[in-house]
Amino acid sequence: MAGAAQTPRKRVLTETTNTKRNILKSPNSVSKKRKLNDSPVKAFKNSQPQKFSKGSALGSSQQKSKFEIELEKLSQGINERKLKNAEKDQDWARPSLDDFNSKKGSLCFQQIDAEEGIMDGKASVKFFGVTETGHSVMLHVTGFLHYLYIAAPPGFVESDCPGFATHLESTLAMHQPVIHSVEMVMRENIYGYQGGELSPYLKITVTDAKHINRLRTTIESVGLGYKSLWKGVENGILTFDIIQYVLRCMIDTGIQGMSWVEAPAGKYELIADWQRSSNCQIEARVHYRDLIAHPADGEWAKMAPLRTLSFDIECAGRKGIFPEANVDPVIQIANVVTRYGDEKPFVRNVFVLDTCSSIVNTQIFEFDKEEKMLQAWTNFLQEVDPDIIIGYNISNFDFPYLLDRAKHLKVSKFPYWTRLKQMQSQAKDTNFSSKQMGNRDTKATNTNGRLQLDLLQLVQRDHQLRSYTLNSVCAHFLNEQKEDVHHTVITELFNGDANNRRRLAVYCLKDAYLPQRLMDKLMCLVNYTEMARVTGVPFNYLLSRGQQVKFISQLFRKAREKRLVIPNLSSQSSDDQYEGATVIEPERGYYDVPVATLDFASLYPSIIQAHNLCYTTLIQNKKVMKPEWKKDEDYIVTPNGDTFCTAKVRKGLLSEILGELLGARKRAKKELAIETDPFKKAVLNGRQLALKISANSVYGLTGATVGKLPCLPIASSTTSYGRQMIEKTKEEVEKKYTIANGYSHDAQVIYGDTDSVMVKFGVADLAKSMELGQEAADYVSQKFIQPIKLEFEKVYFPYLLINKKRYAGLYWTRPDKWDKMDSKGIETVRRDNCRLVQNVIETSLRMLLIDRDVNGAQEFVKDTISDLLQNKIDMSNLVITKALSKSDYAAKQAHVELAERMKKRDAGSAPALGDRVAYVIVKGAGGSKNYEKSEDPIYVLENNIPIDTKYYLDNQLAKPLGRIFEPILGDKKAQSLLTGEHTRSISVAAPTMGGLMKFAKKTQTCMGCKKPLVNAAEKEGAVCENCRPRFGELYQKTLSRVSDLEVRFARLWTQCQRCQGSMHNEVICSSRDCPIFYMRMKAKKDVEDAGKELVRFDSDPTIW
Amino acid sequence: MLEARLEQANLFKKVVDAIKDLVQDCNFDCNDSGIALQAMDNSHVALVSMMLRSESFAPFRCDRNIALGINLTSLTKVLKCAQSDDILTLKAEDAPDVVELVFESAESDRISEYSIKLMDIDQEHLGIPETDYGATISMPAAEFQRICRDLIALSESVSIECSKEGVKFACQGDIGSGAVTLRQHTNVDKPEMNVEINMSEPVSLTFSLKYLVNFCKASGLSNQVRLCLSNEVPLLVEYSLANNSHLRFYLAPKIGDEE
Repeated sequence: MAGAAQTPRKRVLTETTNTKRNILKSPNSVSKKRKLNDSPVKAFKNSQPQKFSKGSALGSSQQKSKFEIELEKLSQGINERKLKNAEKDQDWARPSLDDFNSKKGSLCFQQIDAEEGIMDGKASVKFFGVTETGHSVMLHVTGFLHYLYIAAPPGFVESDCPGFATHLESTLAMHQPVIHSVEMVMRENIYGYQGGELSPYLKITVTDAKHINRLRTTIESVGLGYKSLWKGVENGILTFDIIQYVLRCMIDTGIQGMSWVEAPAGKYELIADWQRSSNCQIEARVHYRDLIAHPADGEWAKMAPLRTLSFDIECAGRKGIFPEANVDPVIQIANVVTRYGDEKPFVRNVFVLDTCSSIVNTQIFEFDKEEKMLQAWTNFLQEVDPDIIIGYNISNFDFPYLLDRAKHLKVSKFPYWTRLKQMQSQAKDTNFSSKQMGNRDTKATNTNGRLQLDLLQLVQRDHQLRSYTLNSVCAHFLNEQKEDVHHTVITELFNGDANNRRRLAVYCLKDAYLPQRLMDKLMCLVNYTEMARVTGVPFNYLLSRGQQVKFISQLFRKAREKRLVIPNLSSQSSDDQYEGATVIEPERGYYDVPVATLDFASLYPSIIQAHNLCYTTLIQNKKVMKPEWKKDEDYIVTPNGDTFCTAKVRKGLLSEILGELLGARKRAKKELAIETDPFKKAVLNGRQLALKISANSVYGLTGATVGKLPCLPIASSTTSYGRQMIEKTKEEVEKKYTIANGYSHDAQVIYGDTDSVMVKFGVADLAKSMELGQEAADYVSQKFIQPIKLEFEKVYFPYLLINKKRYAGLYWTRPDKWDKMDSKGIETVRRDNCRLVQNVIETSLRMLLIDRDVNGAQEFVKDTISDLLQNKIDMSNLVITKALSKSDYAAKQAHVELAERMKKRDAGSAPALGDRVAYVIVKGAGGSKNYEKSEDPIYVLENNIPIDTKYYLDNQLAKPLGRIFEPILGDKKAQSLLTGEHTRSISVAAPTMGGLMKFAKKTQTCMGCKKPLVNAAEKEGAVCENCRPRFGELYQKTLSRVSDLEVRFARLWTQCQRCQGSMHNEVICSSRDCPIFYMRMKAKKDVEDAGKELVRFDSDPTIW
Repeated sequence: MLEARLEQANLFKKVVDAIKDLVQDCNFDCNDSGIALQAMDNSHVALVSMMLRSESFAPFRCDRNIALGINLTSLTKVLKCAQSDDILTLKAEDAPDVVELVFESAESDRISEYSIKLMDIDQEHLGIPETDYGATISMPAAEFQRICRDLIALSESVSIECSKEGVKFACQGDIGSGAVTLRQHTNVDKPEMNVEINMSEPVSLTFSLKYLVNFCKASGLSNQVRLCLSNEVPLLVEYSLANNSHLRFYLAPKIGDEE
């Protein structure tokens, strides 16, 4: 490798990643040196960066922000870079191909993406990937033909095959031959038990994958007239094995998503330069039979050094309008490229329009023309050749915007981000809807061969958050805030000098770097890779498809082994609802004794396994049952009334799949426990998670009526067993643990849900109840069939049971120390209320459950309510957020109406479909509806609109507070929390907006007694005549208030300055998710108002 | 120390009734000249200004300025307990926690005493400066009430146009339109039925009917209502009460295509 770098042949720029290279360790100071001109400027192939302007020196005089210091550190790990200059020399290209020999070495790589392609006029599958040495590969897998099955009719014999093929050909009547062959094979239908015998099926292979759908529809709708063999069939003929070509190929060759494949030496041939269709370093072809698929185990669990490009663009928008691609220019593009396994990015650069002062350790390319910049960026992308492109909201904003902008500027060579030479990247509108994720309008941009991960979509998919801005997501996961620059400020900065643009560039770079950090932190890449490997689908499917395809892929793989075929059932969405899980009616109340919780471990998978429920064991037709079969021995009838044969007769496929999944999970967990390498640990953890999710999804898919292969008997039998088991557990526990049986108390099951029961054993001692819980779990487990297992997990003490799926308690797993406070379904975890509710409930629960301080909790609640009524609560606590998921709601809703109103006010900043809308409820005219009273928090702050405190008290706080305090205090006392003495002090703000405010004149009131000061003598003053003696006192009070507010505001301001990382610049952040932002805005206003009040004393007649 | 005795509880009941839909909590400012109330409605489109002069009470005593923060919903509840012709007495200490209401029956010797806990309301005191209006219309209160009630069936807003011909209340709604025109009119027998229009310039303004209908709840207080209008200035609706007391409502005009 070292040699390779010294004799570069193909590319000018070589990668110097190999840490084995011995380069003198240089002192750290070198990296900090900011002189840029002492090393020769490396040629940037297509556009030479402009000479830095003299102003750039100023850049170093700026104080470094935290992020810049972080940037500085980035290069310290890359020692070889020290001798050169990190601002100027960053190598982009992949390692050279010198060490690669197609004659001797086999071609082994991790494939990351697959798609259909054409090779020599025939269908092939193109696999993209990366070798262990970091070379990019595209491999054409040729010769694989797509096929389907139909049941052979009675009387069809082997010799009929050629004739039938000809018949099919003529029925289809295409211009070219379609049918490759017809074979008679022995297969079995997966759906329903068929007596365990194979029957003849016809495997029809087509010459090209694109004909398969035509063939299928012809068979299904037109039917077949061959030799009148299908005479009896009326409603078309059922076909089997409907699956996409690429997936079919992967299944038949045993390739899993993101797994390693190997083309042995001599079996593959490289494709000559002139014939290449991709810009990968290696392009080759191989016949599918020669391809070796490595299962992702042991050695092959590794990851190739995949390159991840994280980028972000900034546009100069206009005031009040969201950037539009045909008007507003792209002004900066920041890029960070990281190799998998490296801790630090090896490329950090910013493409900027106009001049920009230098940034430590970051390459800056200045351009005078936007067109040049865009073109240079595409060139950069092709050169650095990333395998994965990530960013924040790139699929809906950055990608389409760049494409539209380039189109507008007529940069014709711009949209080539794919790995195929001829393939342009295009943005398409897609609509993704699934039960799990809801409806989302998205745009999809093709980057064939490169994976895309939009962190925004990913986080939205996997995590439930109050807000999904990059800032709040980072605050949540990385505990780090960033400044949130409103898009109108960007233009101002851009129109400033080189230092302003530098500031913007740092901001942009941080936006590009954060997605990378997020991805590392959330381990998306690893977890999704493992999910792809476990379920066997290409990586892209995980993001662009729903849950089903994962299961389907697993099912097909398993079915192929067992020679089963899967019918193409036309999916009819029925409204058939089967009964779900049971919930034992809760004994509501507050429990001051330990309550043990017994859980069934992976309940539904274990039921399916235990009772051998499967497509293959379902007995639809009693005829297949042999007369000598005995109930419960050869077959079972589920509580739901469906019949399945037992494992003795035939082991179910699902049970086998689940067995494997759960077994693999156990193995992965075991390996995880002994593994020390953090990267391998991450992989293993990702795997066990993926396995768990897959196992749990099996049940769900049998119940999905719109799915590919719904089977309600399985789903409803599973839940019916679940219900039965919960009931039985209750029964057993209450039967055994009684005073009659020598226990100190009668045990009582106070609540149970789906897969858990809560037992009050009655003992007050924690250790004792844990003992009893463990014992009960073991005892009840014996009563069930393997592998169903009841586990004792935790004890709640004390426990507040409010209702079904609503409870809170202190969670103990060890007798000596509690683990955490657990609350379910209580406002602490829900998102459709404001933070105030969350805080109040959480704090009161904490005081009630942990401190056992009932009075303290009441006091706290009262204080909070009092603050609320006096407008002392911080605005950020009152903001409610709701997702705007569709535009036409039947009923008017607060957030929808607000979005409409905001659109009228300023179309640019108004929330779009899919965004979360933040609003507060303000006071409205008497009798106006809630939806009329919603308002944008910023607008409220700016115009001092009064908050509808009553709404917050009655509609937000009252119910949840009642729920938790009533069981403890009793109805009456709980009610006093909301109406007591503390609610009698209120404050009404006067807004600067509203119809009358233009005309109204404020009459000053006396600061002592609130009397309006109307007569001329006191009008301008501060106090009325009666309060004169208190003048001194009141002045003192006001003065100290002003200074307190000033201190508060100054503190908040510095806090924001710290967050943005520079102490002498104005704070420009306007992050709506940041509580400090609202506080700062409020404090600013308070200071101004208080200042005005102070001035009144100056003109008071008292001083004269 | 405040002590104010009102011969007819009815007056106070009606006043409170008229404003309770506009304002929920507000301060009653009491001083030696009487009891005043000034508050804006929640959406800041309308303002209520009430002044009950000391002459309306007998006797009236107020040594110091006192602001009584009262929740009007609670006050309505208590006032319901009074008969229309009861004698009402308001009492409060100098730094009060409660306000006391005493109802004395005019016929029998029934005396009922109630108290309402006071609230500490921190609100800004806003007023509308006196203006010279372009047009002043006096008309029977019942007539005004009828016009508003009739027109709200058609539309949310009404345009009031004052010209030489008279005053025209017109509205445009989804189902159609409506207009009522009043001309100067003098009824010698019943002076309370007079319609009087004083105009220095033609005026045309649009207002929300919802609020006007609300104001009309005060119709029982006075036979005549006075509307004062000027272009681009809030409308003043005044109900005069005995002894120079008054109940005034201000309403901001609708401008442009504002909702």
